[in-house]
Amino acid sequence: MSSIALSRSRSRIFVEVNTVVTVMAREITVYFKSPATAVMSLAMPIIIMGMIGGNLMQNMAGGLGFNFGQFMLIGMLINMMFMITSMGLASLVDDHEIDFNQEMLVSPVSRYSLIIGKILGSAFAAVVSLAGTLIVGFAMGIALPLGKLLLILALSPLMCLAAGAFTMIVIGLIKDKKAANLAVMLVTMPQMFLSGAIIPINDTNGVLLVLNRIMPMTYCLDLARAVVYAGTPEYDKIVMFNPAVNFAAVAALTLVGLIVGTFLFAWSERNR
Amino acid sequence: MNNHVISVKNLTKRYKRADRAAVDGVSFSVKQGEFFAFLGANGAGKTTTISILTTTLSKSSGEVKIAGFDIDREARKVREKIGIIFQQPSLDPQLTAEENIRFHACLYGMCGYRPSFKSMPAAYRDKVMELAEIVGIQEALFKPIKKLSGGMQRKLEIIRSLIHTPEVLFLDEPTQGLDAVSRRGLWEYINSARERYGTTVFLTTHYIDEAENVDTVCLINRGKIAACSSPEELKRKLLRHELILDAEDRTALTAELSGLGVPFTINGRVNVPFEGTAQGIISRLKTDLTVLRINEPSLEDAYIEFLNKERAA
Repeated sequence: MSSIALSRSRSRIFVEVNTVVTVMAREITVYFKSPATAVMSLAMPIIIMGMIGGNLMQNMAGGLGFNFGQFMLIGMLINMMFMITSMGLASLVDDHEIDFNQEMLVSPVSRYSLIIGKILGSAFAAVVSLAGTLIVGFAMGIALPLGKLLLILALSPLMCLAAGAFTMIVIGLIKDKKAANLAVMLVTMPQMFLSGAIIPINDTNGVLLVLNRIMPMTYCLDLARAVVYAGTPEYDKIVMFNPAVNFAAVAALTLVGLIVGTFLFAWSERNR
Repeated sequence: MNNHVISVKNLTKRYKRADRAAVDGVSFSVKQGEFFAFLGANGAGKTTTISILTTTLSKSSGEVKIAGFDIDREARKVREKIGIIFQQPSLDPQLTAEENIRFHACLYGMCGYRPSFKSMPAAYRDKVMELAEIVGIQEALFKPIKKLSGGMQRKLEIIRSLIHTPEVLFLDEPTQGLDAVSRRGLWEYINSARERYGTTVFLTTHYIDEAENVDTVCLINRGKIAACSSPEELKRKLLRHELILDAEDRTALTAELSGLGVPFTINGRVNVPFEGTAQGIISRLKTDLTVLRINEPSLEDAYIEFLNKERAA
């Protein structure tokens, strides 16, 4: 029998932070062990940025009064972050199928820590995909100043958290892999088109405006563009809200998404 | 203050859209350090009960306390006190064996996460290596789970469930899929854990011989507890000891038994059920015996008898 004792006298904060780091590290470890995932997260920008973006640039860029390429590149960076983070969260359904969720849920930690760790772990692949988007953008002759890019990178954990929290509301209840993949599309595609990632939305109104206003990507995008266009003549044409408003909206939507999504996830695992 | 580490009162669970309760008003308690077994056929309610007790499934009604903590109001405290081996393996197949253990140890706050085994604290490394040696998986420790056999995976789950030294260890059919040698090794290890830490063990199993040495066995049938006592008492209640006799002149032997008013059956040999000691019967027999032995009923015999009676009822 084991004679070596491991102590458990740790503070609650240590345990929760350690949980976030541990779950996140698992996602990153799995990412590196799954070359297909890594290749996909780098290849997706070629399709999204290269094909869709390229086509839009050739057909829509005229008469906007600003550089559509840069506008779209920022949109694609944030959109890719949202898409890849959301796709990563769909692996919660895989964990359910292999009963690994039980292993996580029977541990004495906050369910929020588990979900935050999962989102931040998925965010790793999302941030890697930024490199793919930037390379494709560079090939198309679009670039961002390094300082601005670093600022977007600094904001990326918050944006990924917003993306994951929003996705959790939908995916929290799903236990079927096919349904989860469809749900991810349901969450990400409308955001791509309605929140201004590739199409300017300054004149959107009606139901589409309502949808636009409840999507976290709208505020993440606007925040990123506020960072990039700060001090430029295009700022007023492109940026819709004050950065503080964007930041508050992202924080609020993230909080709501996390609370509702985590509750639904934990509830659906326990209530059968 | 009582020393019950598990206390269950009128526990009921009805799954959504189910026409009957999977667990129906079950009550029982388990003392600190006790080895407790739940026996029952498939669908009897064993796994449902263990899932509720380990906070992974909600109950419909009733009251459950583990180590004095309510499973609904103090679920986190309950989780700190327990370890579990689920019926189905719950390992991440993409991680190595050690990475699975590290994940668990970190979630239980045993140590801070580090990105490699080598960078983990020495106490963790030593403990993992020691446990791996005990259950014989040291060579598989750094292999991906998908390359390990079912038996190896089970052993790994055992290490994982014990690394945080739980007060109560729940084992939901833990030896399913293990070969005889692995089963024996597992039980030796679990018994040594019980001796060393006074761990309370709650077991469900299909291998009834594994429950022979428990302190208390509960028979569950269609969600209700049918009997709950020590294995010895259960066997006494359900079965009697039998004398197995035979003689070259079997006709003379059976005639003698009939003459003495001793009931018997012939089932290959002459079977004579008795209570107390066999001496009273043997000493009165004059026929030369060629076979004389006492058949002590096993828990499995008692369990099958119980099932037969339930079916008949």
